Amino acid sequence: MSPPQRQQEAYLKLAKPQQKNDPLHRSKILLLGTRRFIERTISSRAIIEHDYRSGKTSILQVLFKNLPSKQTFYLEPTMRVTKHPYDTLIPLEIWDCPGNITVDTLGAPLSEFASIVFVIDIRDLYQQPVVKLVEFIVAACQVNPNINLEVFVHKAEKLQEDDKIENFRQIHERVMDRLVDESPEYEQVPLNFHLTSVYDYTLQEAFSRVIHKLIDSLPYLENLLNVFCSNTSSPKAFLFDTTSKLYVATDASPVDQATHNLCCDYLQMLNSFGPLYKSNAPPQADTPDSAKPSTKAPFYPSASTSLSPSQPVTLTYHLVTPHLALVASLPTPVFEMRRGLVEWNVVWFREGVREIWEVEKERSEGELV
Amino acid sequence: MKKKVLLMGASGSGKTSMRSMIFSNNPASLTSRLGATIDVEQNHVRFLGDLILNLWDCGGQDAFMDSYLSTQRSTIFSHAGVMIYVFDVESREMAKDLEYYRDCLDGLSQFSKDASVFLLVHKMDLVREGERSAVFQRKAAELDKASGDFPVKVLGTSIYDETLYKAWSSIVNTLIPNARNLNTHLRIFAEACSAMEVILFERATFLVIATSSSSDASDSVVTHSLDPKRYERTSELIKAFKQSCSRLREEFHSLEMELAEFTAVLDEMTKNTYVLVVVHNPVVETAAIKMNIRMARKKFEELQGDTLIS
Repeated sequence: MSPPQRQQEAYLKLAKPQQKNDPLHRSKILLLGTRRFIERTISSRAIIEHDYRSGKTSILQVLFKNLPSKQTFYLEPTMRVTKHPYDTLIPLEIWDCPGNITVDTLGAPLSEFASIVFVIDIRDLYQQPVVKLVEFIVAACQVNPNINLEVFVHKAEKLQEDDKIENFRQIHERVMDRLVDESPEYEQVPLNFHLTSVYDYTLQEAFSRVIHKLIDSLPYLENLLNVFCSNTSSPKAFLFDTTSKLYVATDASPVDQATHNLCCDYLQMLNSFGPLYKSNAPPQADTPDSAKPSTKAPFYPSASTSLSPSQPVTLTYHLVTPHLALVASLPTPVFEMRRGLVEWNVVWFREGVREIWEVEKERSEGELV
Repeated sequence: MKKKVLLMGASGSGKTSMRSMIFSNNPASLTSRLGATIDVEQNHVRFLGDLILNLWDCGGQDAFMDSYLSTQRSTIFSHAGVMIYVFDVESREMAKDLEYYRDCLDGLSQFSKDASVFLLVHKMDLVREGERSAVFQRKAAELDKASGDFPVKVLGTSIYDETLYKAWSSIVNTLIPNARNLNTHLRIFAEACSAMEVILFERATFLVIATSSSSDASDSVVTHSLDPKRYERTSELIKAFKQSCSRLREEFHSLEMELAEFTAVLDEMTKNTYVLVVVHNPVVETAAIKMNIRMARKKFEELQGDTLIS
């Protein structure tokens, strides 16, 4: 079998849904939070509990199950630890825990986890979540000093701009104070705080940064993107995971939120367009042939949208692996006049990403053996 | 050419929210900031270039309604092209709403007999998803009965999904005199592109003006059985993307897609319309479609000119 053929077959294999007990070594992310009953109104007939939850399940559903943010209100509370596998460049496993979890009831040693994401409701200024967070940090640092610790100060949409910053700062301060109280050496613990909300793309941005720390090949991907950007004079390019809208890597220029939002909206639109005009025609006679990859060159979906008028920009979209897409903003004159060259660059970029992806895949399969 | 559009209904039924979404490009989340409409707010909306919609957003509080029906009766109801009457699906005073509606219908038949009437059962998002069609059927029957002999069209709408665009597309379709002619030409154009479907949108509102598939559904579309909600969903999606572009002070210009399922190009057709060409044949390149659009532009400019003179 020639190498390109083998590559194609590997490609097809991965496009299929994973089997139940897949033999992949997944990077584990632990998602923690609190759940408390703050207020009880007792009327003659019923006890109404105002349930303040931090929003872990909402985060997972919005990111990986495409749940519209408005619907998160109806989610049931999580009662036991649930594991969500997710495949992007590297295979992930995200553990969604009930609010009352402790280090002992988790059912797995903390050393197994690559990252811990702690979710705090931005309105929750009481001691309890902070105490719990610190407890986990201390326990995690003892068994695994290299663990990545992230704090999502969540539900930012509930507060006005000024209060938002103030509460964010307060929560940050409390956590740090408490950590230093435990022992002064914890002052050096690298702890990242993010302000997030499911109603905009701050969540995607923060979670992207969590994932970046788990991808060992990140510098190589970034380098590929840098080369792509300089060759096509693109001001910004992202490598996105198409379904979750997380970006796996981006070029060296700083991420500006407006551009990131636009790219996310663009992906959202393309994702919704796909099924809209899909033909439900009964399979025709020639389809069995096209199913064989050897007779047909692999097809990579692509799209572009041009924007004006300030400086004409074209947003391009090129799928590079079954789950990853290159989204770049290019000056429209470059895209229109030198489209062939841009696509040539995309081809080489794709080759590069594919190589890295194969290595990552081999490694995650091999590590278990 | 000017067409008068009356937007009426009880206070708080959602008239102004609807108008701001369709004609001012506001997202649904911002409609909660709108205040009550005092008396009549008149707007001129340029639709399809020379066709101007004269939108009368009539505040729905009882005092205003009474004055529309008495002292202002002739000003309000004369020369109307369309009356859109909005009912809140969860209205607590349906009897009163119906009474006002019947009075308005009387006024309309007195001053502008030929006006078409659209009844929108609005805020359908408040009804549970499973019960929606049953609730709508019941309301529609009730409204049909209240309208007597007057021919009306009842539509269920919500600003949170694509039904809003579906309703308004069918409303503006009655205002474009030669829509049928456009459909025929789009069909010819679709054949030239070997396209599955060609859809023409108004530029500012992205409402559907005409499509290549005729109402009795041509064979090719049936065999491919596309999503029945595709037109409204497209309007909704493009509108949402236009909004996110404008947040960056950019303006949406064109879109081409080569997806696994189909190839599509969305581009300017005439100076106030956009066209979406959807092709399922993987051999057809987007550049070829763009070329066809460029060649068809002149013809469609002419057609549109004709439509508006007649």
